Parts: sequence; structure tokens; C-alpha cells
Amino acid sequence: MTNGLTKRYGGLTANDAVAMALAAGEIRGLIGPNGAGKTTFVNVITGIERPDSGHITLDGAAVTGFAPHLIAARGLVRSFQVARVFGNLTVRENLMVPYFASERTRGTAEGVARIGELLRLSTLAALADELAKSLSGGQRMLLQACAGFMIPGVKVHVLDEPFAGINPVVKDTLIELILKENREGATFLIVSHEMDIIRRICPRVTVMIAGKVAAEGPLEEIARREDVVTAYLGRSLQ
Amino acid sequence: MYSTELLIQTLISGIMIGVLYALMALGITFIYSIVRMINWAMGEFYMLGSYIQYVVVAYALGRNYWWLAIIVSTAGTFLIGYLLEPILIKPMHARAMERRDDYATVVTIALLLMLRSLAVAIGGPYQYRPETNLPIMWVGPLPMEGARVMASVFALVALALFWLVISKTWIGLALRAAAQNRVAAQTSGVDVFRLDAIAFAIGVALAGLAGALLAPLFLVYPTNGAVTTVKGFEIIVIGGLGSIPGALIGGVLLGVVESLGAAFISSPYQNAYGFALVLLILLVRPYGLFGERGREA
Repeated sequence: MTNGLTKRYGGLTANDAVAMALAAGEIRGLIGPNGAGKTTFVNVITGIERPDSGHITLDGAAVTGFAPHLIAARGLVRSFQVARVFGNLTVRENLMVPYFASERTRGTAEGVARIGELLRLSTLAALADELAKSLSGGQRMLLQACAGFMIPGVKVHVLDEPFAGINPVVKDTLIELILKENREGATFLIVSHEMDIIRRICPRVTVMIAGKVAAEGPLEEIARREDVVTAYLGRSLQ
Repeated sequence: MYSTELLIQTLISGIMIGVLYALMALGITFIYSIVRMINWAMGEFYMLGSYIQYVVVAYALGRNYWWLAIIVSTAGTFLIGYLLEPILIKPMHARAMERRDDYATVVTIALLLMLRSLAVAIGGPYQYRPETNLPIMWVGPLPMEGARVMASVFALVALALFWLVISKTWIGLALRAAAQNRVAAQTSGVDVFRLDAIAFAIGVALAGLAGALLAPLFLVYPTNGAVTTVKGFEIIVIGGLGSIPGALIGGVLLGVVESLGAAFISSPYQNAYGFALVLLILLVRPYGLFGERGREA
């Protein structure tokens, strides 16, 4: 999906010729030590920032340098590390925004049904008419993920640290939601430091170190590679 | 010597002019909260609205259809704003620009000068007055110019319509979302560039409406928007930038303070009472009545 993607900030090369291909329907983990360029990579593929060089394709079509709403319209959406929900809208309105943003689906009955289903699955139903700013951090993460699931025709969800700083019950709810959406055909790229969860739900992971792809494959296999372990811990575990 | 009747009359006329000031302030605040810029040419859109009102009444519809001309003037300024935004304002967000505020300031001040010069070139430095068929009306015990009464009524209707659009329609939901978080709205698939154009057009249409409504009272000439724009910005300081309730309540407050000062202290200093209120607010609540502390520009 991406090829030779490079992003520089002044003299710092945050992403150095990153190449990654996601297969339709997979859940890929993206891991790496802090500062490895994971969030930069996510920003570039979702159109928040423009790459300095390289190409991004989605379903075979080039989307390099497109504006975020156009990339979303073509089926790739993201969540943010610090959940970006609309604090002064209600939980229900937060779910309405992405659905009604698309002219194809605006005002259809499916949307209302889908909102109800996601509210129930995310356990946010009781809070549907509360303002989103009254939610806890974990509930915001859930709401943000659900808002992503509301966008019609999404093929790929990119989740940036969805499990950071949220309680175990909410984590499990979020995992259930991800697995359910995946069974219905959605592809996921999940950036996370939570190795337990990555091991549970991601058959394959990509490791980024210092702006480059260092390894790719099943987590068990990668965990045995010395260069990866060294990058994480500073030295090998012998 | 100060009768209750005079007090009530003063309050009523203060509120009536206040809702018109509020239109200007609402336009400024609304554009700011969506497009993230101050439109310094608001007064020139007020001026455009008043000129359209005059031309439409004098050459097309006649004095009996002044109310239809108001709608034409508002729609006209909306359209001008909607067409200008993609050309002048959009580059601010569409390109990676380092000093967006500076860009917006320079562009809208250039627009201000251009529109004023255009008005002088076409209409000359003269004053015009669009006619209406409105008689003197009685507001309670108080006789008032019909145009002044109807201006307030129209302003209230416009504010109600604005509220309906913002709270009940899809576009209102998208506008509220974009005002809170542009990037999140964009990643939700909302076309914020289109919203920018709509928000800019609605904001300047509010100014155009105020211009058209006040044209019979404050007349039509190239710099007639200046005073009302200053009032608009006074209200922003009073109510807080980016706050819709702040714009409404600040507008009424300013109108009432000016009227009270003019009636009970001395009328030549009418504009000064507003500034005194601004100074007072700056001392007590520098971020405005409804403003948020430390908001980013």
C-alpha cells in the first residue's frame, strides 16, 4: 500500500522510505519504540501531512497527498492517540457526524439503526444524549472508534494507540468491537505498545525503528530477533 | 425627574438597536469559530447590503416591497461571500501556510479597501436613503420610526432562523463539529473547505442584513459600515470571541448601555459609554463574558 514513503521535518527524517502492504481483511499491528515514526506514518497515510516523497495507494488507486476528507471518502480513516471527539456534541451526535458527512447515505434509516447498534455494543447507550466532554478517557476512545465505524464504505481503519490509558473492561469492549468489524470485512492497522493485545488480535506485525521498517511477520517470530529486542530495551535480553 | 416611563422607553430602544449590533457580532464570531480568522471587511459587507437595498428599492421593487428587498440584499451578500471565500480565504487552509492570521488580516483589509473604492467609483461619495412605506409605530408608550421597529423584528427572525439551522439541520451539526475540531471533522469525512465557504457566506450575510435593515436610518454611503463594525468588535470583547451567546447578550448589553447613557447622562457621548463598558469588561474578565481563557487564535 505504501512505497518508499519519506517524511522529513527539517533535518530529521521521521519516515525513511517506508514500504508496507496491508492485505484486505487483516488486522496488522504497528509497533516500535517511542520516536520510531509510527504516528508520522499514520499522519502521512491519512492525509494529515504530505509526504516528501513516495506513493500511497488504496485498492490500487493513488491517494498520495490527498486531503483527509477525500482519503476518508475513499475508505481509509483513523483514530487519534488523544481521542478527538466533539466535546460539545452529544454522544449520539458524534456518531451522526461521520455518517451524514457522506452525501450518499445522508438521512437514511440504516444510519439510525447502525448508531443504535454501536451504542449498544460500545456500552455507551445510556450516555447517548450526554455531551461527549463528560465521558472518561476510555469512553472517548470507544466513541472515537465507533465514530470511525460509522463512516460509510470504510475499508481500512487506522487506530493510533487505541488502548493507551484505558481501563481493562473498556479495552475488552474495544477489542470485541474491532474483531466484530473485522469479521464484517474491515482491515485494521493498529499502532500500540500493548503487546498482550497485539499478540491476541494481530496475526502479523510490522516493527518500525528509527523511521524504517525493521521487521515484519508474526509477533512470536519477531520477538526472537535480536535487533528488534535491542531497539526496544537498549540491549539484548541474554 | 427621571420617570419610570423614560427608563422603560430607553431600555426598549436599547434592546432594539442591540439585536442589530448582535447580528454584526454574530457574523464575526461565527466566521472566526469555523474558518479561524477575523474578517476585517465585515463593515464592507454591511455596506454592500445597504447599497443592494437602496438599488433594489429605488430601481426595481419600489418602497412598498422594502421587505422583499431586505431578503434580496441578504441573499446577495451571502452569494458574494460564498463566491469570494474559495478565491480569497481558502488558500489560508488549503496550502501549508505558516502565518495564517497574517494572511487573513492582509487579505480582508485589502478587500475592505477594494470594496470601499468600488462603492465610491460606482455611487460616488454621496448619501442615499432607501425608502420604506412604514408609518410611525407605537412600541408600548413609545412612538418610533417604523423602519427601526421592523429592523429589530427582522433581526430577531434572522437570529431564530440562524439558531434553527445550527441546531436542527445536518449542515448545522457539521458546522458545530468543525468549530470544535477541524481535523477530526475532516477525518470524519466532512468537507471543511465547503463548510468554510458556507460559514463565511452566512457570516457576511448577517452583516449584509444589518446593513439593509439599518439603511433607512443610518443611510447608505461608502464608509457606513465602519461604526457598526466597531460596535461588532466591542461586542466580541464583551461577550468573548467564538461565543454565540456572548455575541447575542453582548449586543443587547451594548445597546442598552449606550441608550441609558445617552438618555440619563449626555447623548453626544453615546459611543463612549460602549467603550467604557469594554474597558470595564477588560478589567474584570479580559476573555469576555462567555469567552474561554487562553483560546488559540
